[in-house]
Amino acid sequence: MKFIFTLAMKNLNRYKRRTAVTAIAIAIGLMMYILVDSLLLGVEIESERNLIWYETSSVRIHNKDYWPDRLLYPLKEGIEKSTQLTKLLGENGYTATERIVFKADMVLYSNDFGEDGNFPVVVTAIDPEKDYEVFHYKDTLIEGRFLNKGEEDGILLGSWLAEDIGAEIGYWVTLLTRGNGGFFEAIDVQVVGIVNCPNPNVNRTLLMMDIDSVGAVLGMDGSVTEIDIKLPERADVDNEVTKIAEILDKGGFTNLQAQSWKMLAKDYLAIAEAKRGGTGVILFLVFIIAAVGISNTMLMAMYERTRELGMMRAMGMKENHIRLAFIFEAGGIGFLGAIVGIILGVVLNIFLVEIGIDYGAFFRDIDIGYRIQNIMRGAWSIKSLIIAFVSGITLSMVVSLLPIRRALKMDIPACLTYQ
Amino acid sequence: MYKKLLYLLLFCLIIPAQLFALTAEEIVEKMDSLSTFDTTHSTGSIQTTDRFGTKITLFNFWSQGKKDSLIEFTSKAERGQKILRTEGSLYLFYPDAEQLIRMQGAALRQSMLGSDISYEDMTEEKTTLDNYQVKLEKEELFKEQDCYVLTLTAKSRSVAYPVQKLWVDKQTFLVWKGEYYTKQGRLLKEMEVLKTFSVGDRVLPKESKIEDKMKKNSFTIMSVDSFEANPKLDKKIFTLENLTW
Amino acid sequence: MMKKLPSIAFRNIFRNLRRSILSAVAIAVSAMSIVMLFGFLDGMDADMASNLKSYYTGEVRIQHADFEKYERYNPLHLGVDYKSIEPIANTHDQVRSSTARINFPANMYLGEKSHGVMGVGVDFLREKDFIDFSSLLQEGRLPQEKENEILMGFALAREMNLNVGDKVTLLSTTAARGSNAFTFKIVGIVGFPIAALNANFVWAPIEQVQKFLGMDQQVQQILLMLEDKADEKLVAKQLRNEIETKVGSVTDTRSWNELNDFYGFFKVAKFIYYFIAMFFFVLGSTVIINTTMMIIFERMREIGMLSTLGMHGSELTKLFLLEGFFISLIGSAVGVIIGYIGTYYMGKIGLNFSDAMSGIDLEVSSILYPQTNILTTIVVWFYAVVISTLSTFIPSRRASKIEPVEALRYV
Repeated sequence: MKFIFTLAMKNLNRYKRRTAVTAIAIAIGLMMYILVDSLLLGVEIESERNLIWYETSSVRIHNKDYWPDRLLYPLKEGIEKSTQLTKLLGENGYTATERIVFKADMVLYSNDFGEDGNFPVVVTAIDPEKDYEVFHYKDTLIEGRFLNKGEEDGILLGSWLAEDIGAEIGYWVTLLTRGNGGFFEAIDVQVVGIVNCPNPNVNRTLLMMDIDSVGAVLGMDGSVTEIDIKLPERADVDNEVTKIAEILDKGGFTNLQAQSWKMLAKDYLAIAEAKRGGTGVILFLVFIIAAVGISNTMLMAMYERTRELGMMRAMGMKENHIRLAFIFEAGGIGFLGAIVGIILGVVLNIFLVEIGIDYGAFFRDIDIGYRIQNIMRGAWSIKSLIIAFVSGITLSMVVSLLPIRRALKMDIPACLTYQ
Repeated sequence: MYKKLLYLLLFCLIIPAQLFALTAEEIVEKMDSLSTFDTTHSTGSIQTTDRFGTKITLFNFWSQGKKDSLIEFTSKAERGQKILRTEGSLYLFYPDAEQLIRMQGAALRQSMLGSDISYEDMTEEKTTLDNYQVKLEKEELFKEQDCYVLTLTAKSRSVAYPVQKLWVDKQTFLVWKGEYYTKQGRLLKEMEVLKTFSVGDRVLPKESKIEDKMKKNSFTIMSVDSFEANPKLDKKIFTLENLTW
Repeated sequence: MMKKLPSIAFRNIFRNLRRSILSAVAIAVSAMSIVMLFGFLDGMDADMASNLKSYYTGEVRIQHADFEKYERYNPLHLGVDYKSIEPIANTHDQVRSSTARINFPANMYLGEKSHGVMGVGVDFLREKDFIDFSSLLQEGRLPQEKENEILMGFALAREMNLNVGDKVTLLSTTAARGSNAFTFKIVGIVGFPIAALNANFVWAPIEQVQKFLGMDQQVQQILLMLEDKADEKLVAKQLRNEIETKVGSVTDTRSWNELNDFYGFFKVAKFIYYFIAMFFFVLGSTVIINTTMMIIFERMREIGMLSTLGMHGSELTKLFLLEGFFISLIGSAVGVIIGYIGTYYMGKIGLNFSDAMSGIDLEVSSILYPQTNILTTIVVWFYAVVISTLSTFIPSRRASKIEPVEALRYV
């Protein structure tokens, strides 16, 4: 057995070019499969991501009485001792941030905006330091700056909202709202920054202020309306929600409830809905092309060796041994190709996942009406990597059987003179 | 003997001055009581102006004490709609709806008929002193009437207008003008009485204008066309059953 | 020698049939996959477009000139007069059908509970060409004209625990900027392929909605479907002018691809899928290139032999080029024809997808119809032929440069 194995490996070495070319063919096929799978998966999760990264977070904690009235954005049914709770969650390994979300009428004045106006909005007050650990606004700033902690007069706008109302950095607006209890309050704020993120809903409606100053103005007495938690992308969300609920119970926060983004998602509009089944078809076609590529290459590589096979038969080697040797060789080529393919695929995928392809540049403002910032990102799938690897090797070995069988069936002289 | 007379004179001079000088609380109490009747029945109109134009709504109004009231709208667009205030809640009746709609809590803050008057404003109970600390700032002429100028500061956070400034007629205790502010002193709304009418020995607003100072060109004019003080009213009209009838 | 090259090349193909078939198959499969992929993408494209047009915008949308400007204030009073505009639209020869809608946000009350919904007043009879409500019905029936009956999205019904026969009261602002409430009976539950419609919407007869909102004879939008191959932008422009001249009102009349909000996303989605298609091309091309190259290398000895017989340089290259050309001609043709037939067949029966919308656990089955496109098919055929032919070039040139002696030594 060892002899056969060594023979196979030696053969690989002997025909370096052939081995290389065949392995590369396999590598490219597998790499393509991995990358296409990654992109398709990425596109699919894009809408999920848009939701989780910019709107719902992975898990949100509310006061139990807040939920039925949530569309009214009540302030009374809040989370008290929120700092304590955030700390408790942190101790249990959860990254959490506090937010106060409130309704207001935004009043625009003609000296900045050219004409007076007012309309209802929803404002989100954030902790400018911790919010970016849970949500993904870090890279979305396109003008101005982010909020400073404790800032009283600053507000961030979503880019489409800014465009809609004609707001620029430095403009003042007034937020007319009702504080905790019902008292009227008017807050004057200045636009300090504009963000543009891949979630169009957010761009259309986002208004952000600092939570400490908002809490003071609205008379929240240290309570907040929600706590948002970030979970790693592949986490079992429902499982985590149960664990968080336990932490709440044990910590004495029995009037609070935790909900996963799936429950929250119902309130948010899905813009582009990817057809999940569709990507399966695309992937299947990619697999076919890759398989054909691998098979073809392997077949040709093996047919070339018919004379050699004949020689081995003539020298008296057993058929089984010959078969094994060639299968090993095919497997070896497959293995090499698979390794290279996986490595290439992984390296390129790192680029796809972390940086992605910015296609916003392809769309002029006029096409869509707004500037879009969108990045097509890939996603990791261990399953796909394994499928690619195993398929590459298996396919190579299985396909190589055909020419070997044929060669073994021919009589030896025919083998030796094979062209 | 002279001394005693002197003291008596002084005493007499001082007391009347005190008797005539009302405290802020007393002014407010008089103000509230003079605008409250056992029962009332009136008709009138609400004229709303906003960015889209002007609209007029006609109504019929009954009240009983401080806590019960019923409005029925008689203009074309709102015909048959009623709003009942009783037992601390507000109920809306619409002719084509098979259930009453109850307004509570935050829902009361919505504007009625798109005007500058909210449902909450409608339900406010005239227990001003319960909600506000009052202070008499000065006396001033407003529209050639002698007025007390009062500053009211909300006692709790559940009061809609944290600060109010009222011009109360010294004679009739009618509130001629009201300015409504946030805690920081931002002017939110302004109310002004344009015309008045008399009922017995009381003077009531016939036409008042409420202006939203935060929005451009947004004001509401409430007019009273007819008014009956203390008519005999069937208590049943302030019940839910009657509303659905 | 030159004249005989084509026939030599042709004969060569048959000499080693196995090799030729291998090569042809690689080309055929790649070509077939690309054709089918485009058919699939076109199907998705058409599906998205169709959804957009049926459920949201029609092919041409007519609304009040200022409506969009004041949209955030829910300006129900800014409507269009259906009775006067509809005849103008219908007499246009490119207009196939028309319908009217009123969209109104409302608060749905069930006793004390209330829930925000989006109400749509529709003319159920005219909607057939737009939203085929009958086919979307999961339970119950369509509302009757002049009755206070509604259809509800199934997800909304499920969340509020409502069934056919239950009554709900909708409270909304009216065109007079006051408010009004109507009670409606749920007579049917519907399921759309779009999650948002199932979770937030209710549909009622438009006449009742007009009464409810005090809109008289006005509607909020008039949607039109045009004849196939009509130029939507042109028709919209023509209609806008006609309406202005004949009725005297300036309207916002635009085709669906001019409505930035909706169309924009549509284009983005398209872009993403075509970008992925590019990967296909690359992959398919590499397979073709690789196969052809291997074949050339495999025939080193043959090349050496031909060299000794006197065939050199450019002649040799041309020979292999021709061989590659013939094989790819046939292989590519076979591939695109199979691809076309496959797409056609799938287009007829449809690909059935049970859509588990990411994250939102709604199961909606939707059928995708891949679309055939002669132009695409021919382009792919052409492309495959070019690529394969070109990919014989480098290796054959390389091979032709080797000394005959070297070549003969190749095993």
